[in-house]
Amino acid sequence: MSTTTSAAWAIEPLGQRPDTGRRQERTLRPVEAPARRRRPRLVYGIIAVAGALAIAGAQMVLSVLSTQSSFELASLTQQQRDLTVQKQILYDQVAGLSSPQYLAANAAALGMVINESPSYLRLSDGAVLGAQQASVYTSTIDPLGRGAVSNALITQTPLVTAPDATINGVQAPPAVETETGAGTDPATPPALTDGLPTPATH
Amino acid sequence: MTTRSTRTPRRRTVIALAVVLAVLVAFVVRLVDIQVVNAGEHIDDSLRIAMGGKTTLYGTRGSIVDENGNVLAGSILTYDAELDPSNVGPIERKDAAGDEVEVDWPTVAGEIGQITGQSPEDVQKIVADALAVNPKSQYASLKNGLSTEKYQQLLDLRIPYLTMRPHPARTYPDGAVAGNLVGFVGSDGKPLEGLESAQDSCLAPTEGERVFQRGKDGVIIPGTEQVTPAVDGGTLTLTIDRDLQYYLQQLIAEQATNQGAQHGQIMVVEAKTGKIRAAAEWPTVDPNNVSATAPEDRSSRIFRGTFEPGSTFKALSAATVIDAGAATPTSTVTASGRETFPNGARVQDAIPHGALNYTLAGVLIDSSNVGISKFAEMVPAQTRYDYLQKFGIGQVSGVDFPGEAKGTLRPVDQWDNQTFYNTSFGQGVATTLPQLMGAYQAIANDGTKIPLSLVESCTAADGTVQASDAGASTQVVSASTASQVRELLENVAVQGGNAKATAISGYRVGLKTGTGEISDGSGYKSGVYFTTMIGMAPVDDPQYIVAVTLDQPTAVRSSAANAAAFQKAMTQVLKTYRVLPSDSQPELLPKIG
Repeated sequence: MSTTTSAAWAIEPLGQRPDTGRRQERTLRPVEAPARRRRPRLVYGIIAVAGALAIAGAQMVLSVLSTQSSFELASLTQQQRDLTVQKQILYDQVAGLSSPQYLAANAAALGMVINESPSYLRLSDGAVLGAQQASVYTSTIDPLGRGAVSNALITQTPLVTAPDATINGVQAPPAVETETGAGTDPATPPALTDGLPTPATH
Repeated sequence: MTTRSTRTPRRRTVIALAVVLAVLVAFVVRLVDIQVVNAGEHIDDSLRIAMGGKTTLYGTRGSIVDENGNVLAGSILTYDAELDPSNVGPIERKDAAGDEVEVDWPTVAGEIGQITGQSPEDVQKIVADALAVNPKSQYASLKNGLSTEKYQQLLDLRIPYLTMRPHPARTYPDGAVAGNLVGFVGSDGKPLEGLESAQDSCLAPTEGERVFQRGKDGVIIPGTEQVTPAVDGGTLTLTIDRDLQYYLQQLIAEQATNQGAQHGQIMVVEAKTGKIRAAAEWPTVDPNNVSATAPEDRSSRIFRGTFEPGSTFKALSAATVIDAGAATPTSTVTASGRETFPNGARVQDAIPHGALNYTLAGVLIDSSNVGISKFAEMVPAQTRYDYLQKFGIGQVSGVDFPGEAKGTLRPVDQWDNQTFYNTSFGQGVATTLPQLMGAYQAIANDGTKIPLSLVESCTAADGTVQASDAGASTQVVSASTASQVRELLENVAVQGGNAKATAISGYRVGLKTGTGEISDGSGYKSGVYFTTMIGMAPVDDPQYIVAVTLDQPTAVRSSAANAAAFQKAMTQVLKTYRVLPSDSQPELLPKIG
């Protein structure tokens, strides 16, 4: 590019001369001094090369970055998969624990009963509506002793409030050889050693 | 200027340019063809022929929840483990010190068996059997339906010839609670029973697809991925309250066992809306473990079973004669314990008695078959039939439960002389429990019958809610008739034989009993009955209708067997929905006029 420019400058411009006598004046004559050689514009070259390098560099960086992020993406996807699996495992573990039969059996194991009839206190005038009697110590249903609403998810899950029972009631304890001591009457219920199970209230 | 010498090069240039342009245009046309016109086809080709991959995206089947959003049926993943018998052998594994050790197949089989619950011999046998059939076998099913925990444990063994495929499955967190209604799906995920099957269009997901290209290392090339997302199934909201449903299921199981019945049912309907709040039955199915239940108990007898209702029909007959203007609650007829009617039909009461001047109230209180027959003949048979039809007898309810029975209400021209009277006290017709509930709902709701509903709405994955529409409500009898019938029902509750056993302190209750004879094909079974007790509370402004049925109770053979269950069920319903106690007293009607 730069060479062409300098060559063009070396030739005398012809345009300004009048048409008349054009042939006469077009004679070759020696050049008195060499035309001043112009240095090629270095800055353009630098910009062009630097531009090309920058483009190549940017392309490489982008490519590295996108490769990098695609690996990162793959690893995050894997992580997400692992967490989903973990979530599923945890979900499986607690499945069924929120079911009404589990709650009712737990409550029954604590000695709680379902009250027969409710009473209501009307706030506006303090009147007590309804049966107005204390609950009797019998439940209208027996979720622990006669549990009839099965749930295969928690058949083997011990109750929170009574670890030796499930929703199907108290499991028959493994046969323990009874001491046939002189003072033991087989008809007498075994003595309570740990006391009645009581909730720890704070 | 147009000399020959100048013209020739220019013409050449023009021709050259034209040729170049023509080629360019051809390329552009082809480019547009590839990039625009047939783009789809070429993209498909490129994906298919190149290192393309495609995975099906499975949506999740929607949940079934109760009226409060508690999940009754949800979706989980289970895993099917498969072995590649042709590759089975010792595997290389790093031990604790980091050295490569070889683990032989029997040991590996033992490790697998410990997780899947099979013996090492069983695992080896599966492989040996597959190889015996085909020495190059690449597939042997090890165990299906493994939990995620076991899947993870098996994965940690790092066995190259063990693969596991995820498999969508259903879980029912509450087990048998509402199992009769929710139904279940098969091991292949196909809905088989109950609402799982009836509402499949709401619950079923739509499959999606992920198309991509892979690099050499298996990583998906960015930008090549095209995803058509799967659409999850909708959430089906029921009208059921699961805690109430549980209580009633436990209650009916205990009561049916106490009474030595074949099976029992309790149903609760909200009077003002027709919404079924509970439909409990015993025996019933735990959808988590369907095979543990006998095949005949895996569905809902409430919707599929029919029975001759017996005396609960007397309230409908009373409503008919009052609404037709033929009688009032205090109108009287003379009825003996056993009578032969002029047309030759013979009707008798459960308890023998002499001729009594019964009021309509008295007929219902003592449940006199002869008495109600005499009231019924005051209106034409066709009118009675029309009223029964309007009450919904002989038609499916609005619930749309799969396989719901219609019952039998024969048209009048097929009524013989006996049927003419029998229909008035609920023999010679077969109803389902929902039909009976629907009829009593009309009486409770001032004569307006609202079709029963079991499904509240379907919420699609994008959040749009589609409320279920059971149909238009109809006026069966006038509000005044309904109110008079409720008064009769309250008098039955207060003055009838089960008054003490069914009383709920603080509340005014109206009810009717039925001790229906059971057809055995040719006649009626001897000594065993299908007993019903149906009622509403508080009767001064009915909120809920509760019915209890027992099939062939043997401890007490009459409908008195249902009294305890009815009283407890109704009490629980009133408690659950915080219905305020009544603040008025019942008005007693005379039995004998």
